[in-house]
Amino acid sequence: MSALLEVDGLRVKLPTPTGFVTVVDGVDYQVEHAQVFGVAGESGSGKTISMLALLGLLPSGSVVEGRASFGGKDLLRLRNRELRAVAGREIGMVFQDPMTSLHPMLSIGRQLTDHVRRHLGLDREAAARRAEQLLEQVRIPDPASALRAYPHQFSGGMRQRIAIAIALACGPRLLIADEPTTALDVTVQAGILRLLDELRRERELSVILITHDLAVMSSIADRVSIFYAGRVVESGPRSEVLQHPRHPYTRALLDALPHPEAARDTPLIAIKGTPPTPQQVPSGCPYHPRCLFAVDVCATVDPPLAPVNGRRLACHVDPFR
Amino acid sequence: MTGPALELRDVEVVYERRGRERVRAVAGASLTVERGQIVGLVGESGCGKSSLARAAVGLVRPAAGSVLFEGREVTPLTRRARPRELARLQMVFQNPYSSLNPRRRVGSQLADALDALELAPRCGRRARVEELLGLVGLPAAAAARYPHQFSGGQRQRIAVARALAAEPSVLVLDEPLASLDASAQAQLANLLVDLSRRLSLSLLLISHDLAIVRHVADVVSVMYLGVMVERGPTQPLWSIPLHPYTEALIGAVPRPDGRGALPAALPGEVPDPARPPAACRFHPRCPYAFERCSRDDPVLLEVAPGRSAACWLQTGEEPPAPPAVQARRLSLVRAEE
Repeated sequence: MSALLEVDGLRVKLPTPTGFVTVVDGVDYQVEHAQVFGVAGESGSGKTISMLALLGLLPSGSVVEGRASFGGKDLLRLRNRELRAVAGREIGMVFQDPMTSLHPMLSIGRQLTDHVRRHLGLDREAAARRAEQLLEQVRIPDPASALRAYPHQFSGGMRQRIAIAIALACGPRLLIADEPTTALDVTVQAGILRLLDELRRERELSVILITHDLAVMSSIADRVSIFYAGRVVESGPRSEVLQHPRHPYTRALLDALPHPEAARDTPLIAIKGTPPTPQQVPSGCPYHPRCLFAVDVCATVDPPLAPVNGRRLACHVDPFR
Repeated sequence: MTGPALELRDVEVVYERRGRERVRAVAGASLTVERGQIVGLVGESGCGKSSLARAAVGLVRPAAGSVLFEGREVTPLTRRARPRELARLQMVFQNPYSSLNPRRRVGSQLADALDALELAPRCGRRARVEELLGLVGLPAAAAARYPHQFSGGQRQRIAVARALAAEPSVLVLDEPLASLDASAQAQLANLLVDLSRRLSLSLLLISHDLAIVRHVADVVSVMYLGVMVERGPTQPLWSIPLHPYTEALIGAVPRPDGRGALPAALPGEVPDPARPPAACRFHPRCPYAFERCSRDDPVLLEVAPGRSAACWLQTGEEPPAPPAVQARRLSLVRAEE
């Protein structure tokens, strides 16, 4: 079976006062049916922009190249109206902060029904029934009274569940979740991850999970891609990439995390330096100035993302082979 | 001087609300930070940990209880100047985007902190600013730049440098790591430990993330709905949590081991602090709750050397054991009776 979403050579240039800046520089990936695809990387690595590009949500004047085939259509070639019809119904999106993505002055019911009435053409009563079902599906207690309430009356975790309900309203096949648990407590995060897992199994939903937290990704993703400076540096099945990281950057991200089983005195190992800004991406391998294993060639030649047993890797040195 | 660096005794923080019942955000909590010690304070949002931190530095007036800094009462902030000694108790806030002035250079913001306390003569100011930046691992050139020219992690280090300008003996940090990437988080966590050891600085580190606190803190206090439920040295607390809530916090931490195991979810939500559950405040969400838990309120008791828990499962008669083991022991005892 072919993948639900296939992205090929995605390149995004954003307009700035000083000219175009390449933020996503040739990214490929596939999202399979009913799977969670994890995208990880530090802030500014192009994770979010590469998703917004699929939905036509970039600032005007942006240049997008490549191909993104979703159900036989290339999302990047659709006209605005067509894209809205496809993306609005079949792709849902959830953002990091539910306090800003929900409208503070509209009731939950209004925010859920507007959406389904527009895209599914339901009448008022049918839309209200559908809204109630959606809230049940994301485990909001007492859905009928929740419909009459406003966002500020809910906790952060409940708000994120409501945002997920809105994203699911039209029965999408793909849910893009951008740092959906970053603003939440760990206990609440666990609940949201479990909910995403249920949706994947029960509704056969495909999920793209964008996160900077490899521990979150490790708990739910089937396949993962590690982004750095607008490129993919390593990708493959979750267990392969996270249990035996081959790219020095993947390894470094893992070493920076507190590991629950590690001895307490194991220091956290921070990656030296900071990620490059899109204006100043280093030559060659963009990670080489921070890399502990860099050799001469790394500073001049950008390594291609090449298949190596069961995964893809962009590294000249491959120190953990 | 003897005695702890910072001591909070039975502190209550109450917020009055017009036309609605008052909220006891902190309902009698005690906490001690010894000299040079790093204390982690963990709990979910809404558990009162930020209110307690604000009471600790005098940003809110406690409704009851006392806050002692080096043995001296911390007086709440008023329009009048703070007593000079209290300047050595400093706070770092969660969001470095809003705690730094975006329109002023980093150097002049640090110099302000020095001027306010007359800590450096005009001629020595510049050197001291550079020294402060060095302490947090930033180059001297950072002084001439504006906050937006730095990453989130660097900005948080600038906020720490500004607090250090007052030559504090205690730093209270409210979720300093929450908005950072893993690598920046690791950098700041290591820096805090290093500063504490080098300057014999006491830290009260507030966080919802027990995993990172474990790498930083010497002792951990766990707070739930305005009260302390457990306290102990970090390592034993992490390997054998005594309170079911601590156990739930540890179980919810996702593990970066690539195995694909979902973290355990704690059922229910943090209840409304204006209407806390009767008796043990955790009992409606507790998987081990038995009838006593909804009848009597457990107090924080020392159940093993250095380890305290407020839970009816922990009797202190046997060596400390996790809640599941204790629950089995107790149900056997009850069956015999």
